[in-house]
Amino acid sequence: MTIQVLLVEDSPGAVRLTREAFREANESIELHVASDGLEAMAFLRREGIHVNAERPDFILLDLNLPKMDGREVLANIKHDESLKTIPTIILTTSDAEVDIQKSYQLQANCYLTKPVQLEKFEAVVKSINDFWLTTAKLPQRR
Amino acid sequence: MEIGFHPAAPMDLEQAEAQGTTATRDLVARTDAEKHVVQMEARYLGLLEASPDGMVVVNPRGEIVLLNARAEKQFGYHRDELLGQKVKSIIPEGFAERLIADGTRTAAEALAQQIGTGVELYGRRKDGSEFPIDIMLSPLDSAEGILVTAAIRDISVRKDTEMHLAMTAAKYRGLLEAAPDGMIVVNHRSEIVLLNAHAEKQFRYWRDELIGQKITSIIPEGFAERLIADGTRTAAEALAQQMGTGIELTGRRKDGSEFPIEIMLSPLESAQGILVTAAVRDITVRKNAERHLAQMEARYRGLLEAAPDGMVVVNQGGDIVLLNAQSENQFGYSRDELIDQKVTNIIPEGFAERLIADGTRTAAEALAQQIGSGIELTGRRKDGSEFPIEIMLSPLKSNEGILVTAAIRDITLRKKAEKHLVQMEGRYRGLLEAAPDGMVVVNQHGEIVLLNAQSENQFGYRRDELIGQRVTNIIPDGFAERLIADGARTAAEALAQQIGTGIELTGRRKDESEFPIEIMLSPLESDQGILVTAAIRDITVRKNAELNLIQKVEDLNRSNEELEQFAYVASHDLQEPLRMVASYTQLLSRRYKGTLDADADEFIAFAVDGANRMQRLIQDLLAFSRVGKRKLELFDLPSDRALRQALLNLSGAIKQSGALVTNGLLPEVKADEVQLTQLFQNLIGNAIKYHSSGVPHIHISAARNGLPMWTFSVRDDGLGIDSQFFEKIFGMFQRLHKRDEFEGTGMGLAICKKIVERHGGSISVESKPGSGSTFHFTLAAIEATSSTAIEETNDDTSSIG
Repeated sequence: MTIQVLLVEDSPGAVRLTREAFREANESIELHVASDGLEAMAFLRREGIHVNAERPDFILLDLNLPKMDGREVLANIKHDESLKTIPTIILTTSDAEVDIQKSYQLQANCYLTKPVQLEKFEAVVKSINDFWLTTAKLPQRR
Repeated sequence: MEIGFHPAAPMDLEQAEAQGTTATRDLVARTDAEKHVVQMEARYLGLLEASPDGMVVVNPRGEIVLLNARAEKQFGYHRDELLGQKVKSIIPEGFAERLIADGTRTAAEALAQQIGTGVELYGRRKDGSEFPIDIMLSPLDSAEGILVTAAIRDISVRKDTEMHLAMTAAKYRGLLEAAPDGMIVVNHRSEIVLLNAHAEKQFRYWRDELIGQKITSIIPEGFAERLIADGTRTAAEALAQQMGTGIELTGRRKDGSEFPIEIMLSPLESAQGILVTAAVRDITVRKNAERHLAQMEARYRGLLEAAPDGMVVVNQGGDIVLLNAQSENQFGYSRDELIDQKVTNIIPEGFAERLIADGTRTAAEALAQQIGSGIELTGRRKDGSEFPIEIMLSPLKSNEGILVTAAIRDITLRKKAEKHLVQMEGRYRGLLEAAPDGMVVVNQHGEIVLLNAQSENQFGYRRDELIGQRVTNIIPDGFAERLIADGARTAAEALAQQIGTGIELTGRRKDESEFPIEIMLSPLESDQGILVTAAIRDITVRKNAELNLIQKVEDLNRSNEELEQFAYVASHDLQEPLRMVASYTQLLSRRYKGTLDADADEFIAFAVDGANRMQRLIQDLLAFSRVGKRKLELFDLPSDRALRQALLNLSGAIKQSGALVTNGLLPEVKADEVQLTQLFQNLIGNAIKYHSSGVPHIHISAARNGLPMWTFSVRDDGLGIDSQFFEKIFGMFQRLHKRDEFEGTGMGLAICKKIVERHGGSISVESKPGSGSTFHFTLAAIEATSSTAIEETNDDTSSIG
């Protein structure tokens, strides 16, 4: 059974890296990508071209996004009755305390800083998979 | 008609009477008688004519039958004009009537009543003018009946005299009454014959109560005796002795009370003999004044004696009349040696001349000119030595005329001081002129009283242009105000507040340009009050330098901030693209290694390596710039907590190397925990890294040695460092080893240095190649009792393996 993961990330290079890292970690992950906040919301709400979108089991969210930034997306997700149960992990380059605080205040399920080195990044992705997508129980899709 | 007459002039009256006065008409007898009569007549006529009085004979009808030349003269008529005329025409009233027989008496009786009496009447001259006359009547028997002979005396002069006398008497009485003194006239029997109103007041009697009384009732003693003729002198002599002297006696009032009087006597001739007029003055007040004066004199004498200055009183002749004890001391004389001596003996010049009246002024004027001024002269002592004095003169009225009191002050010391002062002044002026700073002396009115050459230069004025001017002309603000006494403080207090402080103000030159100055104030006592000396330093250069410095510092700070900002932004923003490069070249390397040719492998390998290094560099740069970027918030924290965190962060490396890390007791310090952790981490990380073989032994300790800073030491047994590199290793991107020997960007120690220096400490290294290194850094101690417990390195080690 494939796990639907929504990756909200604007840098195509970062997207590809993430995709490769996840592919290494778990072949049964289907990775959807939204490259800005608005698209992310449209996907989640199945609006417009995303009307037939799959509801994701898991969201990886970058903070610095165009059009609607990650914090706002996070807020929207966690205030939406139908969306708030989806585990949302912040995956961002920032390690600023203020970003960490804000994210958890907005009810992010987890905050991760993207390591600069590839190996370390791959290890983080692997640990996401190991913990969140393997060990932890996710709520059923409804 | 025949006129037979007998001489009727008063002087011939007796004679006439002696001869009888009846004339006979006997013709026979008449011849002899006629002859006789003719003889007599002639003699009588002669007498008549010679009489000094006017003679007029009047018959019972009041007609003039005879008159003499004198009467002619008196009345201004010729004989013939009067003979046969009524006597009334020359004596209008009072005469004829006296002679008329009236109902009550005969003519003879009427006449008889007039005989012998001088009667005052008025005569009328021919020209109608009237004049007072005195007539004496005598009867003259004649054939025609009784004739009346009137001897007429012109009493004009007498009347005038009488009138004059009456006026004089009146005036005299007036004067007497008006006299300010009591006036009492006493006769030779010592009885009061006259007194004036003032005397009534003085003695409190009515006039009538005293007139006729003995003078002794009001002047009991001393008066009467003086006037009595005694065996040795007559009354006149006695009186003469008293004339002109004021005699002090005692007067007794009606109520018996007594009062002091002074009398002045003068003689007064009168019909009653020599009278004595006494002018009586009540001298009660004067007596009181005299007593008061005597008291004052005593007190004055006391003051005089007690005066700190020598007091010498000099009369107008230049003689010393009085002096006090102090002047005896000053001049070395005893009093008697100086009294009545010329003042020039003790003050040879300058004193006497000042007092003398000369052609241009009176003594009083001369004196007046000197009053109140202190005059400097020279005094001469008894032994001939001289000394400088200052005298102050004041006038003193006395019975002897105006005296001069001189207060004499020995000013020897003052003179010495003045001389000394002049010397000092000369020296001071020299110093003032030579002073490198401008020196300006200001009085309490804010006026410049003195300045030196340097201040002339500074302000571009000549001295005379500034002296007397307000200091605000050259120092517009901040100076004068500091010195002014205001409601809150006196001038002295105001000044005291300013002493010793360098005050920065602005000076204004003559050309209106301004320049910064620093002034230092100090007080200067003078006889003009407290003056303020201001040392003025032109601090233009200093100010410019300061401004430059401030500017430079600002520039530097800004530049630093920009640099740090740049470093941060650069390293931060560089990260992302670098990440891409590094990651994808690694992916390339992973996926295509061995699938492309060997060159490709090698190329990719270099690319990957470069990217990786760049990443690490950027990261370290970021870390370095973060040290400065973060706002430094220092907290009291136990340094071992930061150590533990650092070791935690290094756990991988520690585990991998098997390093043994120990530490002594570590103190509480004031530090930023994150940075302190970073600091430990870098140092310990280095210690682990730069190790050749075996297990690294690392020890961390802290010591204070009584200093305000803690010195931490991180000791390792690694490779050691050559001393030539001790400075270099703390520089940015400095590495001592090749890349393939040890990894690292060379930023670690630079970051440590920055952290330590931001905390106000310093970092250094002790090392010998092959013997390991010890890195020392200092951190401020917390001023708490707890830290004093840790004085020395304590090798109670607790290790974290």
